[in-house]
Amino acid sequence: MKGADYVVKRVLFALLTVFVAITINFVLFRMAPGSAVTNLARVPHATPETRLAIKREFGLDKSKFEQYLIYLRELAHGNLGISFANEQPVSQNLKTALINTIPMVLLGTIFAIVFGTLTGVIAAWRRGTNGEGLSVTTALTFYSMPTHWLGLMLVILFAGILPTGGMSNEFLLNPSFTTHVKDLGEHIALPALTLGLVLYGEYTLIVRSAMLETLGEDYILTARAKGLRPAAILRRHALRNALLPISTLIALSLGYIVAGAILVETVFSWPGIGRAVYDAVLQRDYPMLQGAFLVLTVSVVFFNLVADLLYFRLDPRITE
Amino acid sequence: MNKRLLAALVGGFALIALAVFGAAAHSSGSASGGTFRIGTSSRIDSLNPYVAFNQDAYNTFEYVYPMLVQYDKSNRHFVPDFATSWKTSNAGKTWTFKTRPHAVWTDGKPLTAKDAAWTINTDIKYAAGGAANAAGLVAHIVKASAPNATTLVVRYKQAPGNVLGQFQQFAILPQHVWSKYTGHKGNDLKTFSNSPLVGAGPFKLVKYSKNDIALFQRNDSFYGEKPKVDGFGLRMFSNEDTLVTALKSHEIDAIEAVPSTAIKTLSKGFNIRSTPGMDQTDFIINSNRRKTSHRELLDPKVKAAMAHAVDRKQIIKVVFLGYAKPASSIIPPATGAWHDRNVKPEKFDLKLANKMLDQAGLKKGSDGIRRANGHKMSYEVITPTDVPSTNRTFQILQPDFRKIGINLTQKALDSTAAFDAMTAPNGKYLKFDLALWDWVGLIDPDFMLSVVTCAQYEGWNDSGYCNPTYDKMYSRQQLTPNQAKRKQLVWKMQKYLYAQKPYIWLAAQDAVWAVAKNWGGLVASPQGPFNSINKLSLTRVHQQ
Repeated sequence: MKGADYVVKRVLFALLTVFVAITINFVLFRMAPGSAVTNLARVPHATPETRLAIKREFGLDKSKFEQYLIYLRELAHGNLGISFANEQPVSQNLKTALINTIPMVLLGTIFAIVFGTLTGVIAAWRRGTNGEGLSVTTALTFYSMPTHWLGLMLVILFAGILPTGGMSNEFLLNPSFTTHVKDLGEHIALPALTLGLVLYGEYTLIVRSAMLETLGEDYILTARAKGLRPAAILRRHALRNALLPISTLIALSLGYIVAGAILVETVFSWPGIGRAVYDAVLQRDYPMLQGAFLVLTVSVVFFNLVADLLYFRLDPRITE
Repeated sequence: MNKRLLAALVGGFALIALAVFGAAAHSSGSASGGTFRIGTSSRIDSLNPYVAFNQDAYNTFEYVYPMLVQYDKSNRHFVPDFATSWKTSNAGKTWTFKTRPHAVWTDGKPLTAKDAAWTINTDIKYAAGGAANAAGLVAHIVKASAPNATTLVVRYKQAPGNVLGQFQQFAILPQHVWSKYTGHKGNDLKTFSNSPLVGAGPFKLVKYSKNDIALFQRNDSFYGEKPKVDGFGLRMFSNEDTLVTALKSHEIDAIEAVPSTAIKTLSKGFNIRSTPGMDQTDFIINSNRRKTSHRELLDPKVKAAMAHAVDRKQIIKVVFLGYAKPASSIIPPATGAWHDRNVKPEKFDLKLANKMLDQAGLKKGSDGIRRANGHKMSYEVITPTDVPSTNRTFQILQPDFRKIGINLTQKALDSTAAFDAMTAPNGKYLKFDLALWDWVGLIDPDFMLSVVTCAQYEGWNDSGYCNPTYDKMYSRQQLTPNQAKRKQLVWKMQKYLYAQKPYIWLAAQDAVWAVAKNWGGLVASPQGPFNSINKLSLTRVHQQ
């Protein structure tokens, strides 16, 4: 039953975290200088009556507490509200932005996980060799590069070969299926690569560090002494035990996929969630911000919960 | 590693992309006239005229909706659009427009004067609610009616002075589509996504993806001059470097507003066109007479001295790389006759500025900073972070102002926070002293003249200026149908504001655009080639 207790506790904690985040999201954006009213009421030749009507329409004439209660009530009904900026349902805005963002960020993250883990393991296994030096230096270089700068360098490097931005070439006339798919692939390549390269450095360094710690353990020495093959030591004893920090990092990365990558999306004019949130901040579009951060909160909490449950599976000692 | 090899590697990476990216073939029209591809660093924020704010949205409405009138090629005179002729009666209080016969909307339904009358009446009815965005355009109108399919009659309370200027910006909407969205006291007008967009302009919108692309196809049933191209597209970039690279890589054919820093690079392979534009940068001085602190800034003599410490030449050279002219008036020179050429920019003369401040009794302290009413003349200048030119402008102003004994410090805020700080507390304009910003005007002067009226407090007013004498002049120009007399009044207002100085005008920027050499026919305008002034530019653009 210890296992069941652990799961129930984790789930309850996750739900509490989501509720607290919902409240903080509500308060935080309203603390920023400037208000939604500032933008909303700026319509040409607006009379004071018009301005008041606009405030009423969005419920901004009510007290903050009343607004909060209304927000909670609507949220309980699954209603994220209407965007102040384009007057469309927030859920619809978020859906469009997420559909654009997820493939690009997921691709970059998968690239980072695969290559980062691989180079991290190799660097730890080949400790002290030129291979490790090269791997760590490369990882550090990419890790320390500002994302937007790397993106711009890639744009300049591939100018005329790969598209500079956007999600597809909408000017293609009646493209065949293959042409269209190729076009999508060409457009996603640079933004996903930019994101992947920056994240890859982080993965390499953390995986290497986790592996080095494990490789220094007595049981590895015992395995070597028993004459096990290096590949078996690496896979069955070292990598498996180094999985805890790695799985945390992967879960966190996957959780943040829905946050998009604002810098990458800006450099490559990718109409995703990162840019949508940035625009919403500038416009003090509270419903859009609350909705976006709610999705982000739920995603991060969910993947953390997955990581917690995975710990339970990977390391049964946790419940003891 | 050469570029091809790198491309191969990245191409391999892209293959993985295909596995996660859903794909669906699509089409974008035929090929004979070609598709003119425009890049912009701005964007269409909404397809709904009751919601849209950005200029690119209004440019879109110009090309997809009928307007009663438009400006001619010189951007000076009104010529027919949906209305073919117009006349006034009842001492200028009634305007009768004859409209095009046999016009149709893109869904095949007839477009008549009744649509125009319905749009006007709807905007009047919901002016304080859902139609607030268009309320200014129907000011002073009592009612519109359409006695038959080709006659529109508009009745005003008083004879107005800017009827055609207002109707030039007024998009006529299809009654059979929009009349379903007047519920909730007109607020449904704002929540309608307007997709698919039913229009009647020279182009129809076939695809729109927010912050990404808007694709337009020639509308063969358009009542006016038919476009030469099959269509045009507007690609929205969020980064100016990639926008410029996209043009150089021939992913797009034109940039509607070229960043100053890219003009030299692009001039080698592309046609660069420029014309005086509508965008003017300004130095705002809080002119609210009710402000309690730093009241010395209300003194016109102090303001005049400050104006002499502005080095416009240096601002134009450094900030706009020469693509601007010294500005002097709230009405930019690009408006033609509306701009009063006798209102000249103040001469940059620090000696004179110092002398004027000395004469005003503002003595310098041992630290070189002047004292006014017992405090240092040290002020915060609010700069909006999304108007990048304000940063460099501040850097030029600060040392020159130090030389006349005024200390300036910068307070950079995003636009929303900046405007909030300027109107604080609660729209009373009591706390701020100075700010840098810009204004993008229209050809008709009414809008720019309105931004300093008391009625625009918390609205467009960003200077705290509120003066009943000026407001009377503003109302009078609105109700002066004789355009020559109205011009005299507009000139008088410019001189009045020049003396009162809620703004020190800095630089009138040029509209600069770049076009690939295989395209021609674009019509210049102060708003660039994609504009809301007339339907000419993209109707006439063609491959050469």
